[in-house]
Amino acid sequence: MANQRLNILVKKFLSDSILGVIVLLLLVGGVASFTIEVFFTLQNFTNFLSGSYFVMLLAMGMTVVLISGGIDLSIGAVMALCAGIVAKLALQGNSVPVVIFCALAVGAFVGCLNGLLVTVIGLPDFIATLAMSAFATGILFIWTRGTPIVGYMNETYKQLGGLAPIYRDITVPMVTAIVVAIALGALLKTTKFGVHLFSVGSNRLATRQSGINVSKIRILAYVISGICAALSGIIMAGRNTTVPPDLGAGYEVLAIAAALIGGASLMGGRGRILGAVLGEVILAMAINIINLLGVPSSYQKIFIGGILLLAVLVNQLVISLQKKVFSRDNDKK
Amino acid sequence: MRFKNYFFRSVSITGVPIFGLLIFTVAIFQFVVPIFNGTVADYITNLVPVLLLTVGAAIVIIGGSIDLSIGTVCGLSAGITMWTLASGLPAALSILLGVATGAFFGLLNGFLVTKLRVNDFIATLATLNISGGLLIVLSQATELYGAESEFFTSLVYGRFLGIPTSFFIAGGLILLMQFLLLKTILGRRIFAMGNSGAAANVAGINIRNVKLATFILSGTLAGCAGVLLASRLGGVQAFLGLGYEFTAIAGAVVGGVSLAGGRGSPAAALAGGLFIGTLTQGLQLIGVEPVFFGIVSGLALIIGVIFDQKIQDIGQLRSRFDSRVLAQPPRRQGDRG
Repeated sequence: MANQRLNILVKKFLSDSILGVIVLLLLVGGVASFTIEVFFTLQNFTNFLSGSYFVMLLAMGMTVVLISGGIDLSIGAVMALCAGIVAKLALQGNSVPVVIFCALAVGAFVGCLNGLLVTVIGLPDFIATLAMSAFATGILFIWTRGTPIVGYMNETYKQLGGLAPIYRDITVPMVTAIVVAIALGALLKTTKFGVHLFSVGSNRLATRQSGINVSKIRILAYVISGICAALSGIIMAGRNTTVPPDLGAGYEVLAIAAALIGGASLMGGRGRILGAVLGEVILAMAINIINLLGVPSSYQKIFIGGILLLAVLVNQLVISLQKKVFSRDNDKK
Repeated sequence: MRFKNYFFRSVSITGVPIFGLLIFTVAIFQFVVPIFNGTVADYITNLVPVLLLTVGAAIVIIGGSIDLSIGTVCGLSAGITMWTLASGLPAALSILLGVATGAFFGLLNGFLVTKLRVNDFIATLATLNISGGLLIVLSQATELYGAESEFFTSLVYGRFLGIPTSFFIAGGLILLMQFLLLKTILGRRIFAMGNSGAAANVAGINIRNVKLATFILSGTLAGCAGVLLASRLGGVQAFLGLGYEFTAIAGAVVGGVSLAGGRGSPAAALAGGLFIGTLTQGLQLIGVEPVFFGIVSGLALIIGVIFDQKIQDIGQLRSRFDSRVLAQPPRRQGDRG
C-alpha cells in the first residue's frame, strides 16, 4: 500500500514539468562542483544566493503576470523607483515601517496603473509597461538629477539589504524571498484567484464568457508584480548602499529569463513560482561559475547568452522525453 | 457624404493616423521654433539606422514573433565593419561583411526559433547577449575607429542631387520591404502566419520557412543599419546598439503594427519611428532638460498607440464594408484570445 503510494508520488514527480529545471540545476551544479573546488562550499552558496534574492522576487512577480497572459517590462524601473523612495524618505528621517509602507504603496500603485492601462484603455501589455518603465526611470532621474542618492544607510537598512544577518546566516532578503514564494505558491495553487489567473492566461475570451471578471484578475496580477518589485527595491536600497538613477536597468530581462527557464510561457496560462525561484538560482549559479572560472568580464555576456539557450533547450528536451515515456505508459494501460 | 466615407476608410488603413499625427507634430515644432529649416537633413540622417531597425522589427512582429537582438546585432555589424576597415580591407568588402553579420544572426535566430523550437523571446534575448558580448570582446571594451575610406564615409555624408546618400539607401531598402510584404507571395504568407500560425499551416504554408525568412530579413536590415551607423559615427563604442531594440519596437507599435501579429506595414512602422524620433529631436532642440525625456517618450508611446487604436476603431465602424480594410478583424491586443 505504502509502496504503491510512493510509486504514484515518484511517477507524479517524474512527470512534473518542474523536473527539467531540477535536472538542469543538478547538471550545472554537479559539473561545477567536480571541476571547481571552492564551488561546493556553504560560503560560496550563501554568497551567490545573497545576490539573487531580489531578482528572485522580481521573477516571482513576473511569473504571476506571465501566467495571466501579460508581460511586465516595468519591474526593473519600479524596483529602482522604490529603492529611491526608501533612500529619500530615510534621508528625511522617517521611521523604517513608514518607509517600507510607502515603498510598497508606490509599487502597488504603479502596478495598478499598469493594469488599468492594459485593461481599461486596452494598450498592449508590452507598450503600457514599457512606457511605465520610462516614467518610473524618468521620475527617479528628476529626483536625483542624475547623481546617486547617498548617506541614508544605517544598521536597519544594512539588515534589510542582507549586508548584516539577523541570526547567523539568515538574512532579511532570504526570509522575504521564502515567505513571498510560499505565499504566492499557495495563492496560485489553493485559491479561487489562482485558478482564475491560469484561466485568464489560457483563454481570455472563454474566461470572460464563463462570467469571470477578466480585467480584475489582470489588474491584480500587475499589482502583485508591482508589490514584488517594491519588496525587491527595499532590499536593493539596503544592499546597494546608494541609489543611482539607472539602478533598475536590465533587471526586467533577467526576471523574464528566470521565469521562462522556470517553465512560464509568454503565451500565458503556464508558470510556477518554484520554477521562477529555481530559474533564478540557475542563472545566479551560472554567473557564479563563470566568475569562479576566471573568465574575463568582457566574455561574460556571451556566456550568459549561451547558458540561457542551453537552459531552455535542456528544459525542452526533458519535457519531450517525459511526454514520450509517459504517453507510452498510458497506452499500455 | 462620399467624401466622409473616403475619409473614414482611409484613416482605418494602418499607418495613416500616425502619419497625420507625425505631420501635426512637425508642424507644431516648426511653429514654436523653426528648427527644421536647415537641419532637416541632419535630423533624418541621425534617425536612419533606427528607422531601418524599426522596419526590421515590424516585419518580425507582423509574422507573429519578436526580435530583441536587432539593437546589439546592429552594434556588432557596425563593429565588424569598422574593425575590418581599420585592418585594411577594401570598403566594399567590409560593408558586405557587416551586412553578412546581421544576416548571420538573423539566420541563427531563425534556426533557434524554427528548428530548435526555442521561444522567440528567449532565443533573441540570448543572441542579444551573444552579439553584445562579441562587440565588447571585439572592441576590448573601448572603442573601434580608424576607418580611412572616403567611399565609406560618403555612405552617410555624401550627397546625390543635394540629398544625403543614406536617404537613398534607407529609402530604397524600406520601399523594397514595403513591396515585399504587400505585393509578393512571401509577404502575404507573413501576414497569414502572423494572423494565425495554425491556420496558415493548415492552408499549406511552410510556416517554419516563412518565419525563418522574417528573421533573416530583420537581421539583414540590422546589418545594413549597423553599416550606416558606423559610417555616421566614425567610431564604434563597446555598448553601441544596446536599447535600440526597444526604440525600434516602440516605433513599430506606435505606427500601428500589432504585437499580436498580422497587422501593420513597413511604411506604417516608418511613420511610427519618425514620430518618436521627431518628438525626441524636437524636444532636444527646444531645450527641454534631458531628465524629462523618459517621461515624455513614455507619454508619447501611450498617446501614439491610443490615438492609433481609437481612430482606427472609428474608421472601421464608419467605413462601409471593404475587404481590404476588414481582411483583418478589428482587434486589440487587450482582447487577444
